[in-house]
Amino acid sequence: MAVIEVTDLTKRYADLTVLNGVSFSVEDGEIFGILGPNGTGKTTTVECVEGLRRPDAGSIRVLGLDPVKDGRALREQIGVQLQHTQLPENLKVWEALDLYASFYAKPRDWRELLEQWGLADKRNARFGKLSGGQKQRLFIALALVGNPRVAFLDELTTGLDPQARRTTWELIKQVRASGVTVVLVSHFMDEVEELCDRVAVFDRGSVVAIDTPAGLIEGIDAEHQMRFTVMTENGADPAGLFDDVPGVSGVSRTGNRVVVTGRGDFATAVTARLARHHVLVSDLRIDKRTLDDAFLALTGRSFTSDN
Amino acid sequence: MTALAKLTSVELKLLVREPGAMFALLIPLFILVVFGSSIEPGDTVLVPMSLAIAVGLVGLYLMPTTLATYRERGILRRLSTTPVRPGSMLVVQLILQLVLVVAACGLLLTVAGTVLGAHLPDAALPALVTFLLGTAALFAIGLLIAALAPNGRAANGIGVLLYFPMAFLAGLMQPVDQMPAILASIGRYTPLGAFRQALQDVWAGGSPSLLLWGVLAAYAVIISVAAARLFRWE
Repeated sequence: MAVIEVTDLTKRYADLTVLNGVSFSVEDGEIFGILGPNGTGKTTTVECVEGLRRPDAGSIRVLGLDPVKDGRALREQIGVQLQHTQLPENLKVWEALDLYASFYAKPRDWRELLEQWGLADKRNARFGKLSGGQKQRLFIALALVGNPRVAFLDELTTGLDPQARRTTWELIKQVRASGVTVVLVSHFMDEVEELCDRVAVFDRGSVVAIDTPAGLIEGIDAEHQMRFTVMTENGADPAGLFDDVPGVSGVSRTGNRVVVTGRGDFATAVTARLARHHVLVSDLRIDKRTLDDAFLALTGRSFTSDN
Repeated sequence: MTALAKLTSVELKLLVREPGAMFALLIPLFILVVFGSSIEPGDTVLVPMSLAIAVGLVGLYLMPTTLATYRERGILRRLSTTPVRPGSMLVVQLILQLVLVVAACGLLLTVAGTVLGAHLPDAALPALVTFLLGTAALFAIGLLIAALAPNGRAANGIGVLLYFPMAFLAGLMQPVDQMPAILASIGRYTPLGAFRQALQDVWAGGSPSLLLWGVLAAYAVIISVAAARLFRWE
């Protein structure tokens, strides 16, 4: 069942079209990624879905509700972590959770969230005294305190150190395991690859692809290479073994070092061929393709530059 | 506890933790006590003056800074993703700032009436009406500052920039009879000036002129409407 359905969403500011016919749907219980460089309309899309902005055209249904017309009923069932929001400096951690819990008809026990998100010993600390990671964990806990069916998390690990990011990822997986659908806005490839069941790739106000992270990577038809060092040839010259392997476009050999270039999943066939001819190799490497490569292939530009 | 009651109690705690609230209570009291030690019995100037300072500090300074900071920090926007509307925060803040103004004025009147033996008006109703109209006018200006200021620091700056000329024209810095006549008559119809003059009329034993009440009411209505139209939640 789709919990979010967005069809032909369009949003303009004056003459600038920031969203141009965005469509996607999010299934119950998945972590759905919204990926793209900064300034490609990710946050605007999510804010339309949350009911914070009115779309100029297109339709949005969240849990069967219209975010503009049924805003109040919808806000009971969603939890939101926004980018660039703060709390009053002098508000204590427990007071923030207690306050936000009171906004909802059926809130969660905020003491549990305090434990779960590692904030128990910061219970009486003021917001202004928390570290970046603690603030971020508090924001996520606040997004979950209303016992939402869908949680929207915008740039959740920005500003966190690597250890804190890993910890946060594990907790987000627990959130999904508890049955909450998660919409994750991110410009971090590794985060999306690690967490998301499916991803919508945004570029210049449009969705250019929707697939699983693995599917997006497999979908790119770019040349890549595998390399290995020959240990025992057994009479076969490895450089001449792969000409008829599907996908292989070139083989080169320098001493014992061999580089095979090709498209698609040629590596499996190459290793099978090596085994059949009893050629022993070591130091085998296959260039790992990443979401970065997928983004480049989809948009014709690199993810990190040009934004 | 309902959301609104919880919000009020949390915001009250934050107000108590805010040093600015202490200033709004203590500065007018300080002025009252310093100057009050040498006033003659039957003085009708000093207590109205300190009351106007107290209401002016909260309305022009504390309230707009709080609201603009809340918008700047995205607190109003974050609220609009919950079942509680950000308008509730505005209502709660207005109520609490009003409570603060009442507390500050109550403190001034108590100290003036007991320790200083100052004259207090006999007619409660004109005093109450004047207080409410003056507070409404100054809060309206505070709301307009909150609507226009891009952030808390700017609201603070605008509040200070407005407060001093307004306090000067209102005769809160020197007696009106020592001002040039033209400034005194302009000052009489500024929000703070009309408020001080109306209070002084009450202290002198009469009821303020309907013109002064009308001026305060007009400021309150016109400026609130402008603030409501210009206010942005984010």
